[in-house]
Amino acid sequence: MTSWLGQSWRRGLLTTAYPAEPASAEEVPESARPPRPGSGMVVPAEAVAGCPVGALGPSSIDDGTCIRCSRCLAHGLRFSGPVEASTSSRPALVRSIPTATTGVEGNAPMSRFGRSLHVFMVDVGSCNACNLEVLSLANPFYDMTRLGIFFTNSPRHADVLLVVGVPTAEMVEPLRRAYEALPAPKAVLAVGVCPTSGGIFVGNSGLPGPLAQIVPVDVFVPGCPPTPLGVLDGLLRLVGRARAPEGG
Amino acid sequence: MSGGPWRLADADPMREPSPPAVAYAAPDGTLTLFNDYSDGVSRLFRGPPSGPARDPVELWNARRERRGPARLGPDEPVEGYGVFTFPYGPISMGVPESGRFDVRTYGERVLALVPVGGFKARGILDSLVGRSVPDAVLRVERLAGHLSAAHTSAFLGACESAAGRSIPETELWVRALAQELQRIYNHVHVIARIAEAASQNVGLAQTHALGEEVLRLTGSLFGHRWAFGALAAGSPLRRLERSDRERAAATLARLLEEFESLWALFLESRTFIDRIQGTGPIDRDAATRWGAVGPALRATGVPWDDRLRQPVAPYTDLYLELPKEVDGDALSRVVVRAEEVRASFLLLEQMLERWPHDPSVEHAPWPAVASGRGLSRVEAPSGDLVYDVTLEEGRVRRAAMRTPSQANWPLFALGLRGGVFTDFHFALESFGLSFAETDG
Ligand code: SF4
Ligand code: SF4
Repeated sequence: MTSWLGQSWRRGLLTTAYPAEPASAEEVPESARPPRPGSGMVVPAEAVAGCPVGALGPSSIDDGTCIRCSRCLAHGLRFSGPVEASTSSRPALVRSIPTATTGVEGNAPMSRFGRSLHVFMVDVGSCNACNLEVLSLANPFYDMTRLGIFFTNSPRHADVLLVVGVPTAEMVEPLRRAYEALPAPKAVLAVGVCPTSGGIFVGNSGLPGPLAQIVPVDVFVPGCPPTPLGVLDGLLRLVGRARAPEGG
Repeated sequence: MSGGPWRLADADPMREPSPPAVAYAAPDGTLTLFNDYSDGVSRLFRGPPSGPARDPVELWNARRERRGPARLGPDEPVEGYGVFTFPYGPISMGVPESGRFDVRTYGERVLALVPVGGFKARGILDSLVGRSVPDAVLRVERLAGHLSAAHTSAFLGACESAAGRSIPETELWVRALAQELQRIYNHVHVIARIAEAASQNVGLAQTHALGEEVLRLTGSLFGHRWAFGALAAGSPLRRLERSDRERAAATLARLLEEFESLWALFLESRTFIDRIQGTGPIDRDAATRWGAVGPALRATGVPWDDRLRQPVAPYTDLYLELPKEVDGDALSRVVVRAEEVRASFLLLEQMLERWPHDPSVEHAPWPAVASGRGLSRVEAPSGDLVYDVTLEEGRVRRAAMRTPSQANWPLFALGLRGGVFTDFHFALESFGLSFAETDG
């Protein structure tokens, strides 16, 4: 026991200062930020044509579809958008280029919940990376319990249904049942581009469509997968405690 | 928990039982062994010369066209007084993925268990058809994100063999680097999940922290914590400068030390060991008959590892030592994984020291109109992973895979037979199974 405690003491100093402080470079690798054109830059036609998911337009970029594949980086875009990129409306994820570099829309906080949040995660067809990034929030680097956020094993004890993955035909009914099992007031958090738009899987046969067509979604977290801080930003937005966006 | 390590020299194929199952009918009719779930029952086919010459690609296509839930294990009915089937899932407590387990029980003992997949079927293999290799890679990376390096490497390997593209050495080294980092992450994650199921909370936090550091290192090297976008030719994120490699080597040395002290504590913990010793056992005979792969196979005393048996660069030039375990229970599987974590740290150290100087790699182009069929096998964290890809005019005409999870589900089901339900999580995690890479 002594030795476990010794280990844990060494670990005590790891926890991030986020959201009191901005995200550090270690916490957010390049692809943790959505791509943005440089200021005054016109998105080149090759970049628009080369985007594999059609996220780029000449004057807009859809954070809710972008899989951060980095192809547009060859045409002058940079992973320079804010870590705090979640929104409470799907259309707000489509940033228009002139304002893309200045900030994030759709930040209206919700105050349905008190100081603590209980979260139930449902996987409706993910690649597991999103599941694992969400679960990372429990590790000592993020320690979400310090912010009053807890995972629960039952939808009946949850405030938030956190959904990862692109909805598959087989998961529509189990998802609806889980949603109905949450007591009111309840919220739904779509984590990653999969539930938000279908991401890379748009057009695959047999998929019923994005999450918002199945249950109402309160906050969308872009990314493929989002980093743990991206997920945290979404959770904090639900309770009106998200940081103001940093970076480009 | 016994015995010394195996070396390549000891792994004499002639003295060993049949190699693990491969979803491939070799054109020359040599030994072929694969799991066939196409008619809803898992059966092992021994392909030509004695059995029917069935093309595994056709089998998987047949399976995919059926859609809906797929039963992934032996499915003989178990009857008796008070016996009922308890469906667990597809949203199950403590299982972070969607899938179902049909448990036959009379209340306490697990008489039989059938894993049921298909809930995460995203139609990914079908979606590759007609796409260029780089576009297909975007989808293969996202088939099972925590295993993306293995899947992408196997897929690219099959495409390259189909197209006759010669691969710049550095690309193979980058793939191996990403794979070994992910192997460490996945093995450490298995240990963490077992610590969690055993309520070993302090050990859990620190094991998770170690996993986080591996993801951060991957993120700093590849620009992405899961190395998406980093392995395909010409990716702008994968240039590894000397300073990157030195920093990585220093971080890895520290992480290995942390892993060693953590693992020593786990081995001393009775609560940890007691929950996995004797849990979900499979013997060597069952393992080879059903075509087990990876740590599950090696824990029964069979030293098959693609990195040793069919090495490609850089593994041909690196020293790799594999652990030997014979008991076939969850403890043996976890010990094999822990020893492999150590082996992967050693591989990474060697790679970073001897990184090839090859400035020509950046944009090795794809032959624009390549056609052909290629096969590639990679030792993924949970075992032998096979891709079989046919290209036509540079585009994917069809693709099939046989993943470690597909191979190992029946073994998990057999191992849990006769056990109690509280063994479930320990057995499941020790096999490192994933519905994502089963369903595709
Ligand atoms: S990173 Fe990839 S998906 Fe995102 S906008 Fe650029 S090209 Fe499109
Ligand atoms: S959003 Fe990306 S990382 Fe998350 S489940 Fe979908 S494919 Fe995987």
